[in-house]
Amino acid sequence: MKGEWSAMRFDIVIIGGGLSGLTAGIALAEAGKDVALVSAGQSTLHFMGGSLDLLGSDERGNDLFKPLDAIAKLNEKHPYKKLEDVSRLAGVAKQILERAGLATTGYATANHWRITPIGALMPTWLTLEGMAAIDDPDKMPWRKVALVNIVNYLDFPTKFLAAGMRERGVEVDVKAVILPEFQQLRQSPTEMRSTNIAKVIEQNDLLVKFADQVNSVVGEGYDMVLLPSVLGISSNEKAMQLLRLINVPASYVDTLPPSVPGVRMQSQLRRRFMALGGSFFTGDQVIEGIYDGNNLKGVKTAKLDGTVLEADNFVLATGSFVSRGLVADYNHVYEPALGVDVDDLGLDRKTWATVDVTEAQPYMEMGVATDHKLHCKRSGNVMSNLYAAGSVLSGHNSIKLLDGAGVDMLTALQVTENILNQ
Amino acid sequence: MEKELSNHYDVIVIGGGITGAGTARDCAMRGLKVLLVERHDYSTGATGRNHGLLHSGARYAVTDHESAVECIAENMTLRKIARHCVEETEGLFITLPEDDINFQSTFVQKCTEAGIRAEVIDPQLAKIMEPAVNPDLIGAVKVPDASVDPFRLTMANVLDAQLHGAEALVYHEVIDIIIEQGRVVGVKLRNNLNGEERNVHATLTINAAGIWGMLVAQMAGVKINMFPAKGSLLIFGHRVNNMVINRCRKPANADILVPDDAVCVIGTTSDRVPIETCDDMRVTPEEVELLLAEGMKLAPSLGSTRILRAYAGVRPLIASDDDPTGRSISRGIVTLDHEKRDGLAGFITITGGKMMTYRLMAEEVTNLACEKLGIAKQCETATTPLPGSEPKVETKKYSFAQKAAEGRHGTLNASIDSGDVTSDALVCECEGVSVGEVRYAVTKLHVHNLINLRRRTRVGMGTCQGELCACRAAGVMCGDDTQKAINDLAGFMNERWKGMQPVAWGDNLAEAQLTARIYQGVLGVDRLANERRVECYEI
Repeated sequence: MKGEWSAMRFDIVIIGGGLSGLTAGIALAEAGKDVALVSAGQSTLHFMGGSLDLLGSDERGNDLFKPLDAIAKLNEKHPYKKLEDVSRLAGVAKQILERAGLATTGYATANHWRITPIGALMPTWLTLEGMAAIDDPDKMPWRKVALVNIVNYLDFPTKFLAAGMRERGVEVDVKAVILPEFQQLRQSPTEMRSTNIAKVIEQNDLLVKFADQVNSVVGEGYDMVLLPSVLGISSNEKAMQLLRLINVPASYVDTLPPSVPGVRMQSQLRRRFMALGGSFFTGDQVIEGIYDGNNLKGVKTAKLDGTVLEADNFVLATGSFVSRGLVADYNHVYEPALGVDVDDLGLDRKTWATVDVTEAQPYMEMGVATDHKLHCKRSGNVMSNLYAAGSVLSGHNSIKLLDGAGVDMLTALQVTENILNQ
Repeated sequence: MEKELSNHYDVIVIGGGITGAGTARDCAMRGLKVLLVERHDYSTGATGRNHGLLHSGARYAVTDHESAVECIAENMTLRKIARHCVEETEGLFITLPEDDINFQSTFVQKCTEAGIRAEVIDPQLAKIMEPAVNPDLIGAVKVPDASVDPFRLTMANVLDAQLHGAEALVYHEVIDIIIEQGRVVGVKLRNNLNGEERNVHATLTINAAGIWGMLVAQMAGVKINMFPAKGSLLIFGHRVNNMVINRCRKPANADILVPDDAVCVIGTTSDRVPIETCDDMRVTPEEVELLLAEGMKLAPSLGSTRILRAYAGVRPLIASDDDPTGRSISRGIVTLDHEKRDGLAGFITITGGKMMTYRLMAEEVTNLACEKLGIAKQCETATTPLPGSEPKVETKKYSFAQKAAEGRHGTLNASIDSGDVTSDALVCECEGVSVGEVRYAVTKLHVHNLINLRRRTRVGMGTCQGELCACRAAGVMCGDDTQKAINDLAGFMNERWKGMQPVAWGDNLAEAQLTARIYQGVLGVDRLANERRVECYEI
């Protein structure tokens, strides 16, 4: 340690800049709190695509039409069991997105279905404006679809998408457009990825040109044009503008990662947080907590040398293993930022994972231990001012239940209310 | 569409490992009419599940002089004929404080006797030459070890066999041996992709099926005493060492660390296993612990390096025929002339040996075959370069993908389409695999699925372990049968997991979670796949 430590003081410090941390940050800042957020910079939102799930499947793997009814039947370990009113919080979440410029279709009362990049239909809760959304997977809303790709763009597997829709009785024709402006990207083939294409289209103002190309390859007789979501990296305005320029109703389908809508969601939430006066420390991570009994006084970060971030309350929203919110070493699982207790389900390494990858993997349910108010624990003691939210929580498998975004947002909102109502 | 098979061959070679491929090449080069059959993909058995070490022979110098002599000779030969499969890394044999330093002089003496250049070097110098080596070492000997890509080597042998007129079939399993009047006259084949069966006839049938050769022999009614010996290995996420690092002691568990391409491999263990388990070898937690603990003694930084996956192969060890107890096991080459041994003409087994000595094994068995068929032509495999290793013609400016492809296919790189947007589009960023290379592999290198493709091109072998490239490749390879392609994708995911599951902690667990989120959560591969079959032999 070098010299004297000075302190920066906030009402709340949030650790983690993904969907959960940003949701809590925005909600707390909207309530007038002075909030700081420390983010490592990477977010799984970049993979998540254009939709948010609340609860898509029950524990037996059946798709759900009415998620709220099924939430009531979840087992007691599930983080949703710590929410006071799921339905109300789901409404708040939708409004938070709306105010951040992220208009969505869908409600918690009934799931709709999104089209995955390889043509599967999956139940979901909210879908960003402009993305294809289907009310009932057994009743496709289109008769004849033109699926339009960019020549040699490999991250939009049209064969799979077309097969998925044909399976459901839709007539599909695959088309492709080519713009000379992409030539620059092709010089270096690693550049031919969704986010780069979006930048080329947006920076060179190619909307009209792109739309003309689409219109000319599509022609007559279609009731829907589906495009790869390679537009709208900074805001949705241009993406929507392109859809309006196309002669037939048109929507986007998400591409293989990185997901342009996912990247946009993260950047718009971040902008909203900062516009509300939040302090965003990016590319940094919390490395240590300074405790006073059951109270967290402050946190040290890797980059703020000599400065402690102090606050009345803290929110841990660092995500699961993939985000390094949890770390598994050779034989135990721990929470690396603040050293809080983890529900490792009492397992040793041999039982963390099973042989069949399609089975529910036990490690997916590991996460930090919390009390009914989502307080973290240290050595079994409840921390009075440290909360956890999102994928870092134990007790659910977001891949099997399709509840990842819902857990991220709703637990963040519950933590917000728990803090505000203290 | 499969082309019509001829109804009579001089030789049918059973087994598409390195031994079978090498045998098919040698037989074809001597002018024989050859059919090579493999029940799965090339190099799915022990050939694809070892260190990828081009032994100098030093490892065997003290305990097995004959093997050591064979190894060093083949080592020098393969550097010439299989240039594009070999990386000349050199190797170290290190002595640690817990080892007996006196062993070093015996070791060097025995190496010298076997013709292996073994040079004692100062431990300080060893640390400079190989910074990853355990700094506590008290002795070091430099030997001409190198690393070799077994997949590439096998494929090059198959390609050359074909150039010399051989036919080769993957996913064709021998389900019976046809015997007429005390003589093997052919085999009954099943196409494992569509279930069709047919008989193929040949004057000679050569059993080169590795450990499974025991079962092939059984079909012919002859007994071979083989001992399946499981060897487990770990692949690390980057190349920690640039030289092969061995322990200077009698061969033991986990005492070789080999740099292979962008990764490195520690191994092996050695345990007898029942033959019935050989189709689905899984690495146990105990083996992982042993490999890691011993590996860290060679290069301590392995302890903090991500383990990409764990895999295991089965050595086809064989008991000497003159020892009914089966205790006297040889690692040497064993050619069984079943006509002499069992009174069954038309049938030969080639087994034992090592990947290192595959060419010599092929030569021995081909000599025997030629003798039986009355062919006088001499073996030329030791002097004729394999396809891809011919002298290089220097050409145009290469892109990253073209350079990478040249590394993989040698001079055959010229057959890969490039220079247009379609061919140059990149499928795998980690390994620099283009659409052109994928198409080349599909049309020329017997690629039926993503796992085949990985063996031919390294798609999905990099640090991302196929996160996105598998999906892109599936899209590129996909014909009209999209369901098959999706099942293939699900199979690929399963297969990746098989290797990751025994080492699922640290960054590997994080990566596994990311893969599950993308494939299952975002893409919904598991929803679309309608076949849960795990090709368990595919790793």
